[in-house]
Amino acid sequence: MRKRKQTMALFSLSAALLGTTLAGCGTSSTTSVPPAKNVSQITIGTLYAGSGSFATSSLPEYDGLKFWANQVNKAGGVFVKALNKKVPIKIVAYNDQSSATTATSLYSQLISVNHVNILVADFGSVLTSVAVPVAEENKMVLFDQSGTGTTFFTPNNPYIVLTSLPNSGLWPDSLAQYLIGKHYSRIAILYDTNDFDQSQDQTLVTKLKAAGITPVYNSGVPTSTSSYSVLLNNIAQTKPQAVIEFGYPNNDVSFLQALKASGSHYKMVFTVFPGQLPSLFTSSVGPSAINGTYTYPAPPLISHAHVNYGMDSSQFIAAFKKATGDNANFLNIAGYNTGLIIQKTLQTANSLSQLSLRHAVSRFSGTIETLDGKFQINSEGAQTGETLPVGKISANAQGQVSVQLMTPLS
Amino acid sequence: MLEYSLIAGILFGVFFGFMALGLNLIFGVMQVVNLAHGDFVVLGGYLAVVAYSSAHVNPLMSLILALVLFVVVAYVLYFPLIPRLTKSKDPEMLSLILFFGLSQIIEALDVIGFGNNPRSLPLAIMGSVPLHFLGQNYQMAWVITALVSLIMIGVTYGFLYYTRIGYAARAVMGNRDEAMASGLPVAQTSAIIFAVGIGLAAMAGVMSPFMIGSIDPSTGLGLTTIAFAIVVIGSLGNPLGSVLGGLVYGISVMLMQTYFSSWSNLVPYLLLLIIVLVKPSGLLGRGVRNA
Repeated sequence: MRKRKQTMALFSLSAALLGTTLAGCGTSSTTSVPPAKNVSQITIGTLYAGSGSFATSSLPEYDGLKFWANQVNKAGGVFVKALNKKVPIKIVAYNDQSSATTATSLYSQLISVNHVNILVADFGSVLTSVAVPVAEENKMVLFDQSGTGTTFFTPNNPYIVLTSLPNSGLWPDSLAQYLIGKHYSRIAILYDTNDFDQSQDQTLVTKLKAAGITPVYNSGVPTSTSSYSVLLNNIAQTKPQAVIEFGYPNNDVSFLQALKASGSHYKMVFTVFPGQLPSLFTSSVGPSAINGTYTYPAPPLISHAHVNYGMDSSQFIAAFKKATGDNANFLNIAGYNTGLIIQKTLQTANSLSQLSLRHAVSRFSGTIETLDGKFQINSEGAQTGETLPVGKISANAQGQVSVQLMTPLS
Repeated sequence: MLEYSLIAGILFGVFFGFMALGLNLIFGVMQVVNLAHGDFVVLGGYLAVVAYSSAHVNPLMSLILALVLFVVVAYVLYFPLIPRLTKSKDPEMLSLILFFGLSQIIEALDVIGFGNNPRSLPLAIMGSVPLHFLGQNYQMAWVITALVSLIMIGVTYGFLYYTRIGYAARAVMGNRDEAMASGLPVAQTSAIIFAVGIGLAAMAGVMSPFMIGSIDPSTGLGLTTIAFAIVVIGSLGNPLGSVLGGLVYGISVMLMQTYFSSWSNLVPYLLLLIIVLVKPSGLLGRGVRNA
């Protein structure tokens, strides 16, 4: 009985201790529009994951947003049409430690305590999923940087805009075309059970089935999965030609590590994040583990030619290196691109009310092309202008990565 | 698929049994719950990664380095932390708070020291040719890690059953007050067991990138949860229980990954729940502990 008590007590107290890490309860309130004459700066509220499983992706995205704000402030601020003047940008950011629970209260805090003008979501679908209802309830437009889950975009919610990536349901379009074009009939798909990866799986399976191809293996695993050897063995039993893995960066790292150790070879192996974070993969699993595999290549691995708003890729890479000392990756670009969309919104909107901001986004949708591609949203706020091509990775022993496009860049 | 899952589960389980061993030793002797256990495992992993990437030190050599380094660090750490806890009215409860704080500090230091990106070791260090057994191929890194774990479990068993400190440790596990009344050096024994427990955690950490793919600063919390589940499944305070708990956990996870992959992360919690409801003293229970 004593042991049982100890066990139960441990869990009760552990839950309480974990609870103490939360930043407190937020309260919901409806935002009010500040009188234009009183606005001396534009406050952007956002979250970042300073630790935990999403820190790898969240921090570079946040760095990109900060880089944009610094660039704008150096130029005297952002032009706000509603004020007919330039005003400085101030970023208010809290660390959600990769916890969706913590993020929920912090998003509320940004709205109701900090009274931010613009709300920007943290990286990815998991940490964005909790921002969507908070923003909608408070009637704040959520500038969604990279939370691409299809369920976030609904006809009745005007308070969301996806800035830097297409809706994840669209991601596998080019991948499906490529697989069908190569006449692969034996395809294995392993995906993480979260909005981002599940929606990719659903789209891919639907498109493959429409072409008469039923995957020989299609299983979901928890996002926390780090051991892939048994899963890879199960996949090998189905003798696939192509193996597709939809995961987050940590999943892709462990998957490619296990694949390399298994000694199995397939005509095609596809993972999501080597195209966005190539240096992470060359340093953690080695260049040979990603060489010859396929991915969705993203800037700066690829460049968009017709940039008409903000820096192009080469300008950004040079400026970012000069400002931060770091080599730019896609997530830096995604953060910077979010800043560009906010900048264009403020230049276009007739007032600082949230619905006016949202209508402004619809007005310039389809007219600008940034270093991240064409910015175009549908009526639900989902990004439809950008598409992700399929690319084959070449990585040499020195860790230099390049990509050969296998499907056209939009 | 069943054969592969079972054998991979045994390899996986032996490693996790070894990983949980230090937690169980410390709880058994000191009645304190080390919630920073997983963070010490992660520190051991970082030691192996840094040693390999900077000086090409084979992880098998890093095992010795980790044991020596962390035994010394833990021995020093023992004196300001544990004696005060064990003198308190409720050392178990207070230890939760203290080691939770230590866990947070270690995680923060990991972020500062090593960054947030996942770090790994090339599995080919342990041999690029897989082991062929019963018509299936098993990663050599897994096989070697399981062998190292088995050896270390054996050595720990020998330490507990064939050394004076081991006898004293088992006496303290049985009844701390009686051990003290018998004139056994309880404080010194506790300090050594605390150091050994942390040292074993760090050694498991050295091999952890081979079993869990990669490590990052946030990995520790999950490993503590798994270790705790394994210890409760086997039996709190019984080192042999860790091995049994590890095997139950490893085989269950691999079978779940094969047949119900979406639900595989439920395994430690499900097993914990079942054990707490059906046999709260763990699979080996008090009988073995008092033998």
